[in-house]
Amino acid sequence: MEDHLQNLYEVLSKVDGYVYPNEIELNWSILIVLYPYITGLVAGAFILASLERIFKVKILKPTYGIALLTAFSFMLVATMPLVSHLGKPQRAYEIMITPHSSSAMAIFGFVYLWYLMVVLFLELWFDYRRDMVIWANETTGFKRFMYKVLSLGTTDISPKAVALDDKIGYIITVIGVPSAFLLHGYVGFIFGSIKANPWWSTVLMPVIFLFSAMVSGIALVMLVYIVLTKIRKQLIDMDCLDTIAKYLFYILLIDFALEGLDQIHRIYVAEESFEALHKLVFGKLFYSLFIFQGLLGTIVPILTLGTLQFYKPRPVIRKTIYTILGGLVLMGIFFMRWNVVIGGQLFSKSFYGYTSFKTSLIGIEGYGMAIIWLIVPFLILSFLLWLLPPWKKIETSHD
Amino acid sequence: MPQHLKRLIGVFVIFILFFLVMRQVLRPKSFGELGHFRADAIYENTLRPMHYAVADSCTKCHKDIRSDKDLGFHAKLKCEVCHGPALKHATFANKFKNKQLPDSLVLYKPGERKDCAVCHQRNAARIKITFDTINTTMIHQVDIMKHHPVDPKTNAALKCIDCHNPHQP
Ligand code: HEC
Ligand code: HEC
Ligand code: HEC
Ligand code: HEC
Repeated sequence: MEDHLQNLYEVLSKVDGYVYPNEIELNWSILIVLYPYITGLVAGAFILASLERIFKVKILKPTYGIALLTAFSFMLVATMPLVSHLGKPQRAYEIMITPHSSSAMAIFGFVYLWYLMVVLFLELWFDYRRDMVIWANETTGFKRFMYKVLSLGTTDISPKAVALDDKIGYIITVIGVPSAFLLHGYVGFIFGSIKANPWWSTVLMPVIFLFSAMVSGIALVMLVYIVLTKIRKQLIDMDCLDTIAKYLFYILLIDFALEGLDQIHRIYVAEESFEALHKLVFGKLFYSLFIFQGLLGTIVPILTLGTLQFYKPRPVIRKTIYTILGGLVLMGIFFMRWNVVIGGQLFSKSFYGYTSFKTSLIGIEGYGMAIIWLIVPFLILSFLLWLLPPWKKIETSHD
Repeated sequence: MPQHLKRLIGVFVIFILFFLVMRQVLRPKSFGELGHFRADAIYENTLRPMHYAVADSCTKCHKDIRSDKDLGFHAKLKCEVCHGPALKHATFANKFKNKQLPDSLVLYKPGERKDCAVCHQRNAARIKITFDTINTTMIHQVDIMKHHPVDPKTNAALKCIDCHNPHQP
């Protein structure tokens, strides 16, 4: 009992003003920040790939395969932050066997599987099948085994079969774009539909999540592309890079406008929650919202990218700038997720008080775990790039 | 249909069949009997040990304290709010009348300053706002650090219960 009271006393010391008892501890921790972040990267990377495939932006060709593999690697890990956040991770599969149509969260397993298996897996499979058949004959050992298994032992690489693959791949990408919107719109939907929380509850939420997802996915693929050409000691395709940067600029502008619209709407409507949110934004969220997300993650990249549309310095300098901006944008979007997920839990629904968020490095919900789930996708990506190098594929025109 | 598509569809069909079978196998036994949840969960919860005795159960043996308390400001507080869960105590303490209670039956006696602070520390948010007045008397609040911390004569640190009777403050 002594411990219990001691605990209560300590807990109360991290609270300002009045909060309801169940608001003292944040239930959605850093791992829940990571989950929309990672799914966002998936959706964004996929949409970049679809630009090449459906919207025929041929100049983006060098990044098509990289974007798909990136999306796939991150998708494999997307559920892991959620699973490690669960009190009983060993029960995670139950979401699949007892779904309920009235709960958006209970549908997640199917949204996820659809996107992973029907969109990403199939698109990669049809895209790589011919190459896997060829590679299976050229290699030995583990690689050969993997190619055999992955291509399901098929051997038909006649032009007719390949043309069919290409056609089906195209159809899947067409289905994939709305699916990517669904996947990430869905994540925003979950937050947006929590009526009791004025920081989350806005119909714009899915749209904002979607555009920030595109921003982060494009920035990630851009960085992966830069790093990859560096590692492979290849000359980078500057036209391609400039085009990615151009798209990044456009989408970043839309994202900024949408988020601005959301905030302006909030200020104009000034509901009863406004005072509390105002204090939150200028208090506990000041650095993460204005400095990291707003200034460094949005304004600086927009201004720089905007300038680069008119004034083009030497390629080396541009590449360096793109690298830095990619990093900044990725950080900015991370803090956007942070501000939504953590920010939404810092104020009391009584609007009279605030709590604070503390987490440790170790432990199943600590920073350590979050860092692990950010590193694992890159390991998977390295493996996939080794197994299925896009640059060794036979050129297909995707027409 | 080309051979590779057949194989692919085969793989998907196997995958889906496997899912459907596993779904039946893994579904908890009592799921859905009473609604969209595991009916056994209710039963399992009834098996959990209880910790709290009911508010009136203390009166049986501590009548004096109860009647003291009923006359004071703490009348509305239940004993277990301060002394903690006491079911075990209320069930077994009788055997130790006028003897030393064994450790497992001894209850916490919240006599330190911080114990009273849990409810009485100044807290601007714990006020009652009524139609046109701000009423700060929902719970009387004192500044724990400043409200008689030491005895002016002997300079000894004072606990709240040196002056206030916790059962009849
Ligand atoms: C069956 C009779 C009985 C009941 C019911 C009972 N107690 Fe007791 N309690 C005792 C006895 C016996 C002692 C031992 C000391 C004494 O005789 O004063 C005791 C002692 C205590 C003490 C002092 C312990 C100490 O270390 O000095 C507290 C506090 C206490 N009881 C609280 C409660 C509360 C709160 C309840 C109601 C949930 C309760 N009791 C119900 C019999 C009972
Ligand atoms: C405001 C919190 C509070 C409440 C409510 C409260 N107690 Fe206590 N109780 C105390 C404190 C503090 C002590 C320690 C007093 C001391 O050490 O002198 C105490 C001591 C006791 C003791 C030990 C004997 C004694 O008189 O010192 C018993 C028995 C007891 N309480 C029973 C009860 C019962 C029965 C109730 C409910 C009718 C009750 N208490 C409600 C705070 C409380
Ligand atoms: C569980 C919450 C709680 C705890 C713990 C608690 N009190 Fe109280 N106290 C109350 C309530 C409720 C009242 C009645 C409302 C009021 O008058 O403030 C009260 C009233 C009082 C009053 C009378 C205030 C007045 O109106 O003049 C005093 C003195 C007091 N408590 C002292 C104490 C002391 C000393 C302790 C520590 C042993 C203590 N309280 C622990 C809730 C608590
Ligand atoms: C030196 C004795 C002494 C000590 C120690 C002491 N008090 Fe008091 N307390 C008083 C007196 C005398 C009053 C009434 C006059 C006043 O309001 O100062 C009072 C009044 C109160 C009141 C009512 C205040 C109001 O607004 O009417 C509360 C509540 C209270 N005390 C709680 C506590 C708590 C909690 C502690 C321990 C942190 C404590 N007291 C320690 C002597 C004491």
